Amino acid sequence: MAHVVPSLDQPSNYKDSQSRMDRLRQQDALSRSSTLYIGNLSFYTTEEQIYELFSKCASPEEGGGIKRIIMGLDRNTRTPCGFCFVEYYTHAEALACLRYISGTKLDERIIRCDLDLGYREGRQFGRGKSGGQVRDEHRSDYDAGRGGWGAQAQRAEIERRREMEERYADAQDGPGAVPVGGGDWKDAGENPLKRARSPDEAEDVSRDVRTKLEDDTQRM
Amino acid sequence: MSYHGGSHRRRHHHRDDGDPREAHETPEQKLKATILKLGEVDPVQEVSQIASHICTQPSSITSTVVEGLRIGVTEEPFKIPYYATLLRVLSNNSPTTETESIQGPEFGKQILEEFWKGFQTYLDQLAWREIRLCVQFFSHLVAAQVISSHSMYGLIRAIVVVLDEFGVSHGRARQAVRCASEGLMIAGRAFTSDPNTNISDILDPIRTYVHSASSPKRLVLPVASVLANTEKSEVAYELLDSALEALEAMHRSGFQEALECFPRPYSDAAIDGSPIFDLPSVLVPPEAIELEGISNDSEGVIKKGDWAEFYVRIFDNEVTPNISTPIGYFLRCGLLDIVDIFEVNRKECARLLLEYPKWSLPGTFQGKASEASSGDGKWQLECTVVESILGQLFLLPESTHKTVYYIALVTELCKLSPPTVGPAVGKSIRRMYGLLSDGLDAAVADRLANWFSIHMSNFNFMWVWKEWIGDLSLPQQHPKRVFMRRAVEYEIRLSYYDRIVKTLPEQMQSPDAGVLPPGTPGPSFAYDDPASPYHDAAQNVLNLLRGRGKAEEVMAHLEELKNTLETTDSDQNVTSVIRSIAVQALLHIGSRSFSHFLNAIERYLPLLRNLAAGGISTASGSAVEARNDILSAVLDFWKNNKHMVAIVLDKLMQYQIVDPTDVIAWTFAHASPEVIGVRYHSCSTFQWDLIKGALDKANGRVAIARRKLAGLRKEEDENAARAIASSAATMDIEETKPDPVAESPALTSAVKALTSLTKEQKAALTHAVDGFRRCLVSGEDSASIARRVIEQRDWDNRSNWGDAEWLSWETWSWYLQFCRMYTPYLRNYAASLDTELSAQAEPAESRFQDVLNLAMGQSL
Repeated sequence: MAHVVPSLDQPSNYKDSQSRMDRLRQQDALSRSSTLYIGNLSFYTTEEQIYELFSKCASPEEGGGIKRIIMGLDRNTRTPCGFCFVEYYTHAEALACLRYISGTKLDERIIRCDLDLGYREGRQFGRGKSGGQVRDEHRSDYDAGRGGWGAQAQRAEIERRREMEERYADAQDGPGAVPVGGGDWKDAGENPLKRARSPDEAEDVSRDVRTKLEDDTQRM
Repeated sequence: MSYHGGSHRRRHHHRDDGDPREAHETPEQKLKATILKLGEVDPVQEVSQIASHICTQPSSITSTVVEGLRIGVTEEPFKIPYYATLLRVLSNNSPTTETESIQGPEFGKQILEEFWKGFQTYLDQLAWREIRLCVQFFSHLVAAQVISSHSMYGLIRAIVVVLDEFGVSHGRARQAVRCASEGLMIAGRAFTSDPNTNISDILDPIRTYVHSASSPKRLVLPVASVLANTEKSEVAYELLDSALEALEAMHRSGFQEALECFPRPYSDAAIDGSPIFDLPSVLVPPEAIELEGISNDSEGVIKKGDWAEFYVRIFDNEVTPNISTPIGYFLRCGLLDIVDIFEVNRKECARLLLEYPKWSLPGTFQGKASEASSGDGKWQLECTVVESILGQLFLLPESTHKTVYYIALVTELCKLSPPTVGPAVGKSIRRMYGLLSDGLDAAVADRLANWFSIHMSNFNFMWVWKEWIGDLSLPQQHPKRVFMRRAVEYEIRLSYYDRIVKTLPEQMQSPDAGVLPPGTPGPSFAYDDPASPYHDAAQNVLNLLRGRGKAEEVMAHLEELKNTLETTDSDQNVTSVIRSIAVQALLHIGSRSFSHFLNAIERYLPLLRNLAAGGISTASGSAVEARNDILSAVLDFWKNNKHMVAIVLDKLMQYQIVDPTDVIAWTFAHASPEVIGVRYHSCSTFQWDLIKGALDKANGRVAIARRKLAGLRKEEDENAARAIASSAATMDIEETKPDPVAESPALTSAVKALTSLTKEQKAALTHAVDGFRRCLVSGEDSASIARRVIEQRDWDNRSNWGDAEWLSWETWSWYLQFCRMYTPYLRNYAASLDTELSAQAEPAESRFQDVLNLAMGQSL
């Protein structure tokens, strides 16, 4: 298909301006990417709201699902600044979001999704001079979902806002600052942490083999 | 075009290969685009323009015309009558002889010969939608007297032969029935006057198949399926039943009704002489043979079950056409083809759906409500479109595409035309809500709540809740009450508690009303209360975790705590308490967000593993009990946030702290709702979410392992082939058989992993069947009520049902969904799951087993 109309899951003009990959390699990486950049979020939208909407495009029966969500934070204030990354286990799930979710509302804002090259350390922070996203520095309108003009917020939003501002106060920099999200099932027979088997377990289901997820932590 | 933009610009231009706006289109590309854009203003006029343009071209243009027609027919099926007209015109003898023209019967023949090659390719690939749309095209060409009716008859006969194949799958037969019926409805009039055709020879096999294929239908009825024990229902229409009914109606009228179903623009085109083309004869190739095991391993794709397709009827016959009538069938299928084909671009799809009247006969649809002259049309476009889309959304066991596609499509329609689509959506919601009392399947009801919440999330959560206030007097577990709770819960997940509370009328805001969750969806740390006997102990653990103490330190601390507690309170199950404190404290430090939670468990994986193994610093005790304790601690901590329970359980499985079987067994035993203060053995929608999550995890792992193994095998084969090739090249003709390549360690471990995961998958399915069996037929407390519900002894008395009856009913409904949803997996384990029934089995038990057997593909 797509002879007659363009498919919505084609890569857009969105790009990571700081990526050093050349164009062909970027294209190749995007054609396999399972990570999305999500933009135009309200500053108050939580990861759980994002999880709920984006789980509609998950295919757990194919071995997919939401691997992790990385909330975009203001570099200085450590508060959400309107973007995030959603990482799935499979590329197909990310494409489904471009077709079915991008351009619909979350928390009463129309959000946009773009394929992303994948999270790298430091990308969880805004790149604007003020610490937030660059695009918000060019904004001159009033946007309640993005912190109003400045500090004013609607009364009803104050509590929500306070919670949100405190939520990521503990956000860290550097390696290991964001979680890995759990890798594929692994059969690590030599795991020293053998789990004892109880008599009422189905005897042939091998339960004594556990994953070494730490490997994943190192890999990222 | 000049290129003086400097080096930068030139480079830029060079790199962006093929910008469509650039004027580099060849005449061929332009012609193709014109064919595909046919009908932007007036299709009839454009057909003759395109035709005259083509006639002036050299004959080498043929392949472009064919390509354009092929794409147009298969991707814009609503234009098929006009493409047939184009071909009709091109096949006519050229009106003038002065200018040289390629127009004429020979040209038409040439186009069809080449088009036929494309059709043959679709046939070889068994690309059924394309086959069907080409059949429609050919049938129109029969009506346009381009193709001979007896050759078309031959093609349809060849397709109908599929129905007589031994053991034909329902999926294949369904496609064949659709191709044949749609072809016959269009070409039927021509057949009636052709002595070489016998319509009964097409109609009879279709009738025989549709009537015989009724057995698996009752598993996928969207409304009161097995309970009502009727396959015929007035609220849902099966696609093939409808096709047959429409076909019979057409047949009775001598196919005169066709004139009211679709435009025939070619009837005005001058027709000279007899048909110019005979379709070659064909055979529909057999389906790829599935070699047991082998194809499964290499593809990693599970073949989904083939089910009947029931469409819920939402509007009256005066508002939207009945799908069992010729016009209703045509419109429904025409709209659904658009929904299917344009899945890649929902915005364009919505636009095309609302423009559909342009492609149907005048008078089919009413004018826009704003144009008062609406007396002329028959049906309401928006209602017809919305009903068609919802029919797909509510298909059992699952919709063709992800449900969110259909939801997003309805959203786009509403955005395009709020005043006309909005009311159609509102009426649909009310109609579906009304069906909740009459046995709407639990899976459909849950999809309804899901659609409702996403839709409202896109339209400011505006809904007239107050019209449902009266239903608050129904029992808590009545499907309407369950729906209200679910819808509000889903809305809160997408938004936040305070926002949604404001959208509800006062009567629904009070906690006693049972619409809102019992509290704001925050965490509940059981040991927060200073009065709790374990308050201090829990605080210490919490502080240790907050201070990022090492896992070993925490384990040592817990061990110490255990020893202390064992000396002070001997009557408590100290180990369970310790597990609960540890898990809840861990969830507590991770309660700020999903990421915080992931960070917390990643930091303390060794701790969680040891807890799950039954011990603390040393493994001891029962692992099953330990994992049950962990799961119960999660439910306890997030008791006001079911969404978080599902998320946490998913990740605990992902990190392999607990297994899918643990989750399934625990969910049945510990997560059911209470009836009058006592846990009632059941499967509520919340429980089903957890069970489905666990089953999908088990199945997903097998899918990954299969793909991995297939990849490794392929690699290995390629290596082996390369080795043979190189040895053959270097070692002359000597008979050197290369040693059978030893399996690589990677391959060995992949095989081992697949074996182990397959066992887990089987165990998960078995646990689910057992869990349902305990709720429905063999349990102590619930079974007597459940039996009565399953045996439908008092379905008509349901207005007097209480929570227990409705819960049992919901459990039964989820059991049906489990069976039909996991058919492809259950089938693999048919031998081990199939338990013989004793001769004196109770009716409920045999019903339970019947459904399972049906799902495993065994006849009754």
